[in-house]
Amino acid sequence: MRERVGYLPDIGDEVIESKILTFTRKGVTLEVEAPLLTRKQMQQVSEKVKRASAEVLKNMTIMEIITIIDTAIEVLLDRNSTYRKKAEKFLPIVTGYDEEMIRLGLTSFLKKFRKYELQRFVVEDLGNPLLLDDFQPRIKRGFSKAVGPELILHVWAGNVPALPLWSLLSGLLVKSGNIGKVSSAEPLFAGWFAQVLVEVAPVLKDCLAVVWWKGGDEEREKEFFTYPDVVVGYGSNQSLESMSRRIPVTTRFLPFGHKVSFGVISNTALDSRKALITAHHAAFDIIQFDQQGCYSPHLFYVQKGGNISPEAFAQYLALELESYQKRYPRRTLSLEEMTAAIHWRNQEEISSYTGPTKLVLGQTENHWTVVYEEGGLFSPTCSNRAVKVIPFETVDDILPNLKPYRSFLQSAGVAAAPRELFQWAEKLGNVGVTRITSIGKMTSPESGWHHDGRFNLLDLVQMIDIEHSAEEYAENFAAYID
Amino acid sequence: MEQQKIIQYLLTIVQSDSLSEDEFNQNALQLFAYQYTNNLPFRKFCQQKGKTIRTVKTWKDIPAVPINAFKEVPLTCTPPAEAERYFMTSGTTQGVKGKHYHPTLEVWNLSMKTYFKQRFMKETEKIRMGVLFPTENEMPNSSLACYLALAKQEFGTEESHYLLGENRIEIERLIQELEHAERSGEPYALLGASYSFVHLFEELRNIGRSFQLPPGSRILDTGGYKNQSKEWELDDFYHELSRVLGVPRKDCINMYGMTELSSQLYDSGNERVPSVKSGPHWLKTRIIDPLTDEDVAEGERGVIVHCDLANFNSVTTILTEDLGMKVDGGFLLLGRVQGTEAKGCSIAVEEFIKAAKGATQ
Repeated sequence: MRERVGYLPDIGDEVIESKILTFTRKGVTLEVEAPLLTRKQMQQVSEKVKRASAEVLKNMTIMEIITIIDTAIEVLLDRNSTYRKKAEKFLPIVTGYDEEMIRLGLTSFLKKFRKYELQRFVVEDLGNPLLLDDFQPRIKRGFSKAVGPELILHVWAGNVPALPLWSLLSGLLVKSGNIGKVSSAEPLFAGWFAQVLVEVAPVLKDCLAVVWWKGGDEEREKEFFTYPDVVVGYGSNQSLESMSRRIPVTTRFLPFGHKVSFGVISNTALDSRKALITAHHAAFDIIQFDQQGCYSPHLFYVQKGGNISPEAFAQYLALELESYQKRYPRRTLSLEEMTAAIHWRNQEEISSYTGPTKLVLGQTENHWTVVYEEGGLFSPTCSNRAVKVIPFETVDDILPNLKPYRSFLQSAGVAAAPRELFQWAEKLGNVGVTRITSIGKMTSPESGWHHDGRFNLLDLVQMIDIEHSAEEYAENFAAYID
Repeated sequence: MEQQKIIQYLLTIVQSDSLSEDEFNQNALQLFAYQYTNNLPFRKFCQQKGKTIRTVKTWKDIPAVPINAFKEVPLTCTPPAEAERYFMTSGTTQGVKGKHYHPTLEVWNLSMKTYFKQRFMKETEKIRMGVLFPTENEMPNSSLACYLALAKQEFGTEESHYLLGENRIEIERLIQELEHAERSGEPYALLGASYSFVHLFEELRNIGRSFQLPPGSRILDTGGYKNQSKEWELDDFYHELSRVLGVPRKDCINMYGMTELSSQLYDSGNERVPSVKSGPHWLKTRIIDPLTDEDVAEGERGVIVHCDLANFNSVTTILTEDLGMKVDGGFLLLGRVQGTEAKGCSIAVEEFIKAAKGATQ
């Protein structure tokens, strides 16, 4: 099978070189044909997108844009549409994730970008959505308007399906021209979205592009990074650092590095009835996309003193992971990942000989591993369904462990009583956590969330102020002045 | 069996010409029983895998201990304090180095000498050597320093020298040696860590020199050259090695060794890379699927496991972090399993550790 990916605006009769990326899963091979632009073509695309978005997008109202996105999302939510069918068929091959996991994941993800959610998205950041359309009166007097950059370049990473949508939609909502570079691990979804968008609103046909090049291609990046006003980059700190070296100072760079997330479970959630449900939710956060997301938990801090001890909770978690393995089996790991998993587990097992309070749970097929460890250190696991359970007395005990890793912390899934929730949120926030969510929802941030504590739209726009003085001064020159 | 008997027996094995599959098996199982009984962490490891003396029927059933285990627990059948020597691994996990204890180096030394002669010296008894590595005194816990010292002592002529001072190549001295070899026609051997040769390339490029060593000269490099100023492709490395020293690639031998083993493996030159590696008759290598522990088919990639009978005091069978492929006459070494970067946006352990080091320093 072969699938052409990406999306290009009309730049005339150009021969576009393409790069074939090959994926195989369960004996099915998919060849993905990704557009690889020359420097000249990239320049043409950039200019075209810039111009078209200035002429088209910038003259649309925010509600018109929201409505178009909403229609496109409807298409992708419709299980009978060609695109949705393609997504359900090809994404499992490309990413290796289970079909059902992808199907459910896609739906719950796409639902966040329907009309009403998008409206919330905009209000969340701007308060008044009309700021994107026109000058709006400010309480301090004067007027302001929020203007998106002419061109945003998104450099996406990773294999979590459809993830690029967050930044691409943010770019559209601020009426910018958008060019996205898809990752080699999931090169499909962004291009399909662009195609659907243009099908439902042909006027947007030149306002965006989805391309591919090999990440770190110094020659290309050096040149490509000179076109946009803003570069939004995803990846490891190392790749972001090398990216930033190629970005001119005048271009704004919004880097999103890799993060690590964890859960904190209060003993109030650990009575004999609730503990099972909590473990079920926690296991879901682990199996969803096999802990590949920045919001995926690697450790669970579990409070002592409940009816169910942290050690018993670890065993509940193990049972839940085993049942999930039947329902949503882990994707096939590469030899490298498999070796990493074996070494990780072996090392945990061996170190448990000297630590009497350490327990390693797993089955011989090594589909998942739960390590229970008193006083365990804060560290990500090898992913792919490997998790640590660390008991604690009070939340203050775990804070010193988290503190050194401030810049890497993201989500904390919390199961706690209301008062605790807010107390803990305060403390976790102080050491760098930017998102507190419920256990079971860790991999599914709400629309309008502040990704890594930042704003989706506000970080992109520039505010234009008309100060009150200008307004007053203008009165002097009115035709109707007496 | 008690230790002394094992040692005596191993010394005979190393000196013998070969071992039949049966004999190898017998010896491996005897050693397994000995280690299972006397090496407590290893016994626990086996028990956790459901392996006991009763269920381990062939050498392939012996649980392979991951090299990281050497960092976690003392894997030894005799008390660590009684060891004549211990070697430390170079890699660390969070600052902890692994230790490999040797109650005596008798077996280690004989294993090294016997197979070094066979694979590197061949018909030659002694050769003038230059060693691009620190001495044993400078690095008493380095198995490679010990290896090279033994090589020089046993197989080097009296004029053989160390050519590394304070971690810098003594380039004038080296040039004298190379010029002497060129002039006299006396074969010369240069031995050292692969990355020392990379430094040598740089030094020689700076002064624009290259040499044509006389026939019979040979090179031995070992280890990798990761994290050096420039990462070299294998092919480029041997091309350059052969070019600057004038030694044909078939005489550029790579030694593949590990602190966790008591024997070394070699290739027969590097005309083509990756070269075919193999070990002595008292060491067997498997390429396995880490998930099932089964051998992968010939021509398929897998993880390398070594069963080294000379490892009598620790564990015979080691699970490496190296990828390999079984081929005729041995296996291809396909590099280390890199700390796999997460495919998503979750941070990978290695990146985290690196960053954490930066944060706490």
